[in-house]
Amino acid sequence: MRKVLVNRLLRLLGTLFAVTFLTFSLTSFLPGDPVTAILGVENIQDPELYQQVRDELGLDRPFVVRYVSWLGDVASGDLGKSYITDQPVIDTIKQRIPVTAQLAFMAVLMAVILAVPIGIIGAYRQGKWQDSVSSAAVQVALSVPNFITGIFFIWLFAVELNWLPSSSWSRISDRGLIENLKTAILPAGALAMTQMAIFSRLVRADMLATLQENYILAAKAKGLTDRYILFRHALRPSSLSLMTIIGINFGALLGGTVIIETLFAVPGLGFRLINAINQRDILVIQGITVFIAVVYVVINTLVDLLYAVIDPRIRRR
Amino acid sequence: MKMRRLHKSLAVLAVAGLVAAACGGDDDSSETTSAPAPETTAAETPDTTQAPVQAEGDVDTSIVEDTTVVENKYGGSVTIGLEAEATGLRPWEDALSSPAYAIMRAIYDPLIEQDVEGKYQPFLAESISPNEDFTVWTMTLRPGVAFHNGTPLTAQTIVDMFAIQQTGSAAAGAISSSGLAGVEATGELEVTYTLNKQNSAFPAALQTAPLGFPFDPAAAAADPDGYSIAPIGTGPFTIKSRDLDNETVVERNPSYWGVDPDGNQLPFLDSISFRPIPDEGSRLDALLSGTVTAMQTLRQGTIRDARAARDGGADIELLEFQGNNLGGGHYNMAVAPYDDLRVRMGLVLLNSQENVIEALGGTGISLPGTQFFSPDSPWWSAKVAEAWPKFDFEAGKAKLQEYIDDPARSDGKAVGAKIDVALSCPPDPTLIAAMQVVEQTLTATELVNVAMTNFDQATHINIALGADNGFIGTHGAHCWRWSGEGDPSVAINPFLAPYSAENAEAAGLPGVVSPLNFANYWDPESFQAANDATKTDVFEDRYALYEFIMMRIVENVPIWYSGHTATAIGIQPNIKGLNGWHVPSGDLGIGFPSAEPRWIEAYIAD
Repeated sequence: MRKVLVNRLLRLLGTLFAVTFLTFSLTSFLPGDPVTAILGVENIQDPELYQQVRDELGLDRPFVVRYVSWLGDVASGDLGKSYITDQPVIDTIKQRIPVTAQLAFMAVLMAVILAVPIGIIGAYRQGKWQDSVSSAAVQVALSVPNFITGIFFIWLFAVELNWLPSSSWSRISDRGLIENLKTAILPAGALAMTQMAIFSRLVRADMLATLQENYILAAKAKGLTDRYILFRHALRPSSLSLMTIIGINFGALLGGTVIIETLFAVPGLGFRLINAINQRDILVIQGITVFIAVVYVVINTLVDLLYAVIDPRIRRR
Repeated sequence: MKMRRLHKSLAVLAVAGLVAAACGGDDDSSETTSAPAPETTAAETPDTTQAPVQAEGDVDTSIVEDTTVVENKYGGSVTIGLEAEATGLRPWEDALSSPAYAIMRAIYDPLIEQDVEGKYQPFLAESISPNEDFTVWTMTLRPGVAFHNGTPLTAQTIVDMFAIQQTGSAAAGAISSSGLAGVEATGELEVTYTLNKQNSAFPAALQTAPLGFPFDPAAAAADPDGYSIAPIGTGPFTIKSRDLDNETVVERNPSYWGVDPDGNQLPFLDSISFRPIPDEGSRLDALLSGTVTAMQTLRQGTIRDARAARDGGADIELLEFQGNNLGGGHYNMAVAPYDDLRVRMGLVLLNSQENVIEALGGTGISLPGTQFFSPDSPWWSAKVAEAWPKFDFEAGKAKLQEYIDDPARSDGKAVGAKIDVALSCPPDPTLIAAMQVVEQTLTATELVNVAMTNFDQATHINIALGADNGFIGTHGAHCWRWSGEGDPSVAINPFLAPYSAENAEAAGLPGVVSPLNFANYWDPESFQAANDATKTDVFEDRYALYEFIMMRIVENVPIWYSGHTATAIGIQPNIKGLNGWHVPSGDLGIGFPSAEPRWIEAYIAD
């Protein structure tokens, strides 16, 4: 087991190194530099001032020198300061990760709540009209990008029905849980639709396999009700792959809410990332990207390790 | 009607999504991408070789006195959706755009402000006057003004501010361009500005940030980073909270010095909440659904949709503004083939402004541009408007043919070979549509190969700036916006100065380089005229000089125009006072250019 652990951790370090290098390279080689955003176009009246700011930011140092210096800072937990706001990048992430995490959590929760019954019905009524309807609905949810769903939700629930705010965010600390949920439900719902489709397909497929097992036949022979069999005997063994994919997708959602956060003006990581890209706020781009990558890679590594704990065959490989 | 808007939003976002996917997740990626071409059928494609009916802007930009009779104007709040988060609120340090100014104009007062006629009037200043040659300006501050923390505004404040401004990222450029060399307190409330050049337009620099918004220099020096989160000004509202990317709240300054023309203590509102909602459709939906009570937009497509919503029964009002700012682009005259007048003139003659405005969604909203001034501006010239080369397909084609047939053509190609034109705009769906109109027209001549590129805004600017190659740039025909409501010298003079060190040397002006001369346009006569215009304050003389400069632009066509930029503030009908606010003299103020509201007299009419 120790060997597996060491092996996975080495892979983790290698991946993180690659991520930091790629992130730094890509942002470094973007055309132009952040000086224009810092000064403002109309204030670039003097070439010497322009160069002075470049010098202050160290933008003329060789790529490798800048990378090593930045990596050293990152390794010690210092992601630098925003060129635009002067706010430490780590503070930017700390302020925004709860928002994005809440959206991701709510999206996954809503998706599971919808996906499990849909998946069970699809499996239990395989080939019947209930299966056809749920499959069609799932297919639609899978096909429609979440930002289209978001626009539809805004139009329906905010503009037409006036039930919920169309955009912006209420923090629990400022306005309480109810107001917070009012602003979170539409973006989370938009994110949940695709997840729901994936989850329900998985549940349906696993349930179909489980329902063929002998112990299910035995349960039926004992005269147990269908509902009891489905929820007490079939659902649990059919949920293992669902749990795995929930974990992975939660990690992906932390970095995958960019468009939805922009559409709904939700002040999460994705919204900040878009602003940083528009402003060439390179340290913020690098910091957020690396953070998302670390979270994603760590979650995947934990899942890998979990497999090894559960399945002795993986440990032996 | 609402369904139509939904469909439009879906289509726009679908295009944005495709671009985002193509660029690795963001539509502002720096990668060079071809424009994602919306499908058009032959029947839908306009005949771009024919000029359509003249576009007519019907924007009501009139600034009028508020005649609403209200018993009590005090109280209430406004929540406004901004097009982006303010990048900072420090006048001396931060590069500011319209959303930043929307917030800052609540927190800071300007020293000088423009009235409805565009003239500069004292605001925090009580008076300002120059010496004979405009190298020394003496300003007297209004007495009894204090910052939000109680510190009084004195002449020494302005002196101490200058020390910080000299090292500020944003202010250093403004100091350089205005010629400000020193600031001295010559009395308790008297400030003397000394310039290193004649500048009759110096008050323009005191109308806005980075030099014109007084801040508390002691507080700024103590915590320069924190000042962006907790700014201290003398304005009608004080900062209450600032949650970046989410909400900035300001509340009434109970000690504000200002009163309205009836003597009522200002301001009227209890608080204002600013919320960044970058998606145009979402911002309009936020207004329509009541999530916000006001919104700003700088996109004519959104104005069109807001008008449609209003006309369809939505309970909103639009305060529209169309000033000097206008779209179009510049040609890089330092590279072939744009270094040849025949090519530039040909391209301008082939620029169907009405078709482009239509593609931009501005038909009936945006006026075609002919100069740096709108017809409402006192600087507007009928002579220039008449002379600006209008769309003429055959004449444009003939100009290009001349170049193509010239054995000494500057691009080094063989006689008869097509001209290569590199057309670049930011990846906004409406700009892409406008580019396609231009591309179709040019292609129809069978004389031009058009290569279209779309870079995100930051890259687009950096390419034109060309810091890597001595501020010459590698661009070709480059979309741009020009001009503003300030003094003409602000927009025009940097555009006419030498564009590179070599150019400056050759012109006998070593060290005089303007990175903002994006077209690399060098015309000694225009440069001289621009300088002369800052050595007199006689309007007629200055008018003649700027008219001359505009006529030279007509002759040399370093740039092309599409239409004037329409902006708007959408509000719920009970919000009043954003239109007819006043400067301290009692005259009407300039209104709300660039969708930057002045909150000083805003109130709720319920």
